[in-house]
Amino acid sequence: MTDALFLALSTLAIWSGWRVFRVDSMVRASFQLMVSFIAVGLIAVLLAAPYIGIATIFMMAVEMMVMALFMVMFMMNPAGLNPMVMVHQHRFSIAAGVVAFSGLSAAVLLSDLPVQRVPEGADVVRDLGHELLGPSMLIFETAGVTLLATMIGAVVLSAHSGRYGASDAGSLPPGLTPGGEPAGRKPDESAGHHHHHGGH
Amino acid sequence: MIAAALTLLLALPPLVWVAAMFDRIGTGRGAVLIGPLQNGAALLLRPNTATEAPDRLNRLLAPGWYLALALVGLSVVPLAPGVVASDISTGLVLWGACEALTVVVVFLHGWSPNAPLPLIGAYRYVAIGLPAMLLSMFVLIGAALPAQSLSVVEVVEAQREIWNVIRQPLGLPLFMALGLAITLRGPFDYADGAELAGGTSAEESGPALALWHFARAAMLVAFSAMAATAFLGGHLGPVLPGPVWLLLKTLVLMALSVAAGRFFARMPPARMLTFLWVVLLPLSFASLALVGVEVLP
Repeated sequence: MTDALFLALSTLAIWSGWRVFRVDSMVRASFQLMVSFIAVGLIAVLLAAPYIGIATIFMMAVEMMVMALFMVMFMMNPAGLNPMVMVHQHRFSIAAGVVAFSGLSAAVLLSDLPVQRVPEGADVVRDLGHELLGPSMLIFETAGVTLLATMIGAVVLSAHSGRYGASDAGSLPPGLTPGGEPAGRKPDESAGHHHHHGGH
Repeated sequence: MIAAALTLLLALPPLVWVAAMFDRIGTGRGAVLIGPLQNGAALLLRPNTATEAPDRLNRLLAPGWYLALALVGLSVVPLAPGVVASDISTGLVLWGACEALTVVVVFLHGWSPNAPLPLIGAYRYVAIGLPAMLLSMFVLIGAALPAQSLSVVEVVEAQREIWNVIRQPLGLPLFMALGLAITLRGPFDYADGAELAGGTSAEESGPALALWHFARAAMLVAFSAMAATAFLGGHLGPVLPGPVWLLLKTLVLMALSVAAGRFFARMPPARMLTFLWVVLLPLSFASLALVGVEVLP
């Protein structure tokens, strides 16, 4: 039963992981990746790691939703339903894929993986908590803060070039009539509600 | 375990009916008692609508996923001591995963018809639904702290002396915000609002729409049962048997959610986003900090 579930879930994980690169929309690609991670999370549940498995599903649902939102926001394909090619830098990605696959396969085949079974009734969630907030705390906190800084940096860098010019230079849309007031929504004035007078 | 699952499956349709009745009281939308059934039957007889170049698979599956998530969420709620459909040590995390996937499913429901109004509803909903879900997780960690466990059974047991709603008064109101968000209701209904002609459901009709409404009501039942369990002591109570207490508390919270959805005005999405991140989320941090101080030995 467990073996059949493991085979089904790993097939689903690999198939949907492959589909990520074959579908033609960013929203589809994000959620194919989510399906792949959900399958991996369920495999973790099978491996007697219920917290890690279900937390993976939880985190990936949020992350892939945010990813779909941001990708559509920053890219030219408004709704993510118009077909587009989802892959680029073909030679580099083929080389990277081969290196990563052979490296991971070598790691799996050559390393001495532990085989002891989790004892029945072991307090796995409590043990994990003690590990995360004990010896491994520095690693996790460092990784977390680094990821957060990376995300903020990426958004700042990519948001700089606005649709109508650099964002710190106003990024105002052109007027509806030549030389007229900029089109689109006016940003809120901080003081009072007096009339808007053109650019900044 | 199987008995609990069967009980839930049998109890859900009548409770969905009650939820639909609550939604009709005082709205002048026809008969309160049989109105939902008439409406559902009429929808089942209507054809589904077609849109141009939709994502057929997701459009077909979204209402079913919504209902499935409500059922999985409901399955971690203990009905009586030792009677729970999915007895896992990380029930609260599973409920959280259902919340997160609900945002995904509502987004797919609006995205898949490939039409403007559903898509606007879907994007607005994601922006509001994600922070609402985030704050609910801090509140639920608060409910888990006195129990020192992520298991929902333990969370109920830890409330034998005193209910969480008294120990952590901020918890339930903040969790209700999440309830309104995942049931697409009142101040948090940015997905299916009337000003978007139904938002993510604007292009839906027939059985698909009937199932979507059914799933939305089922999610209200699941949320209310979960809130009753995490903050009102679940099946605990004197004299009456456990399941009856759970049912009563669930019905009270369903009525409260429907009332809150009617009472609170809806803000523009940008203001609601600021309100969520600047007011409600820090409040949930404060609530969690207070609980932490409280349970310090």
